[in-house]
Amino acid sequence: MNAGILLMKKEFVQMARDLKVIWLPMVFILLGCTQPIVTYYLPNILDTLGGGQGITIDSTLISQEGGEVLASTFGSQFDQLGLIILVIALMGIIQSDKSSGMLAFILTRPVSVISYLSGKVASNYLLAAFSVTIGFLISYLYVNNLFTVVPLSHMLIALLLYLTWVLFVVSFTTMVSAVFRSQGMIALISIIFLLGCRIIISLIPNIDFINPASLSKYAMEVLISGTINTKVISIVFIEFIWIFILFSITNYWLTYRKGDHE
Amino acid sequence: MKLEIRDVTKSFKNKSVVNNFNLEIQKGECVGLIGPNGAGKSTLIKMIVDMIEPEKGEILLNGNKNMEMKKEIGYLPQYPNFFNWMTAKETLMFMGQLSGVPKKALNNQIPLILRKVGLQDAENSKVGTFSGGMKQRLGIAQALLHKPSLIILDEPVSALDPIGRREVLNIIQEIKKETTILLSTHILNDAEEICERFVIIKNGVKLEDSSISQLFKRNNKNRLIIELASNDGVWMNIVKKLPYVKELTVKGNKLEVKVDDIYNHKNLILRNAIEHNVDILKFEIQRDTLEEIFLKMVMR
Repeated sequence: MNAGILLMKKEFVQMARDLKVIWLPMVFILLGCTQPIVTYYLPNILDTLGGGQGITIDSTLISQEGGEVLASTFGSQFDQLGLIILVIALMGIIQSDKSSGMLAFILTRPVSVISYLSGKVASNYLLAAFSVTIGFLISYLYVNNLFTVVPLSHMLIALLLYLTWVLFVVSFTTMVSAVFRSQGMIALISIIFLLGCRIIISLIPNIDFINPASLSKYAMEVLISGTINTKVISIVFIEFIWIFILFSITNYWLTYRKGDHE
Repeated sequence: MKLEIRDVTKSFKNKSVVNNFNLEIQKGECVGLIGPNGAGKSTLIKMIVDMIEPEKGEILLNGNKNMEMKKEIGYLPQYPNFFNWMTAKETLMFMGQLSGVPKKALNNQIPLILRKVGLQDAENSKVGTFSGGMKQRLGIAQALLHKPSLIILDEPVSALDPIGRREVLNIIQEIKKETTILLSTHILNDAEEICERFVIIKNGVKLEDSSISQLFKRNNKNRLIIELASNDGVWMNIVKKLPYVKELTVKGNKLEVKVDDIYNHKNLILRNAIEHNVDILKFEIQRDTLEEIFLKMVMR
């Protein structure tokens, strides 16, 4: 486990040198601002630029509740552009070490695949979670100022549910990155699968239980309605089972196909 | 550390790379693994350091297959690769800590080892800016850093210039006293200089495993070459009539003499030459160089 912590530290240094610790939170801060600001000013923007003949725009009428706007920060920003950028930031997580031979080299030392993997996932998840959290907090502040106030407890519960989904995103991309060799392929597969999961929430609500993306929907629900569905606890549980399965597949792949990079 | 390789077989895509390979290296030995390109040297080494799993057979270190034994191995890959964004010092710190060396000890050792491999001026430069030779030196540094008891070097000097080669050979000579070494190479002079024992491998099969003196003894032709200052026909005839001389060929001032038993008869001939006051320029046993022996075995 000691090696895991060492590898985690190394990842953080690398992220700092790559400036990933700066640009990834920046992206989420921007995405977090976008939703409340655009929603707030949209009537004004349309008013000045729209040239909408025959359309009446009453800019004083802001019907949206704070919770709804905050929820769409998840739904329309983080789960779309945010997800794509997150996958692109993570696509090389294992693949780059594999193609440079560093993975095989590190494993000639007394380091187990599990500790290598935990170090990688933990460090990258911490960065992703930090970015999402800070972006979401910024969005929360804007929403509270521009719209109605969202209770702190709702915000925190929604954030925790959403961060569990982010853990799935990180684990899934890690697995794909361990299996495939080309970064483009990794990004494509991860983005299609994860966005696919997100889209079918509304198309096939029956499989919420096993759909890893449904936590994002329930996080939005908490913000919009202020109530927590009792199903959520079991869904969180199932989400962790998913994450465990992904982790096991990655571990298996790296343990038994480690000579595969040649 | 004792290394045992038992019946190891490995193939890639149905093409056999290492075939039923057996090898035992005792503590303190220095073994040269030599063979042409594509003979399976690197694959064998990768199996020893657990980068590749053998299909059949097992590799034991001090009799067991323990993960902890990895601490005791220092490995230099054929093409050492490091994180380009790390400095030389950070790389050694990282690799050393992975092998379980405490940070404090590393702080003391790293400057020493960098001086040893001649990288003391590049301590804080990024590995990405290093030349191939510098990476090779850094690779040697990381293989020695944790004071392993088995050092495995895959082509340690092939990528170096003559000066670097000499330096690295000297380093290996030095560490040889304390550790077991297995090194692969196709530069035979280097292997001849460092190792006492040779394993010749071709197409994944062990062709030869013996000490260098045995190898020369076996490939001896019982021939002497005597070079004279002038064409001394008289003595040549005397030599021809000696009872133990089997064959005599004259090539200008050179005599090629075949005898029954080189170790006893060579001195007799020399004594005979001195008695007859022959002007000798050169007196040598004709034998194959390691390279010739190697080529003969591999080309067969």
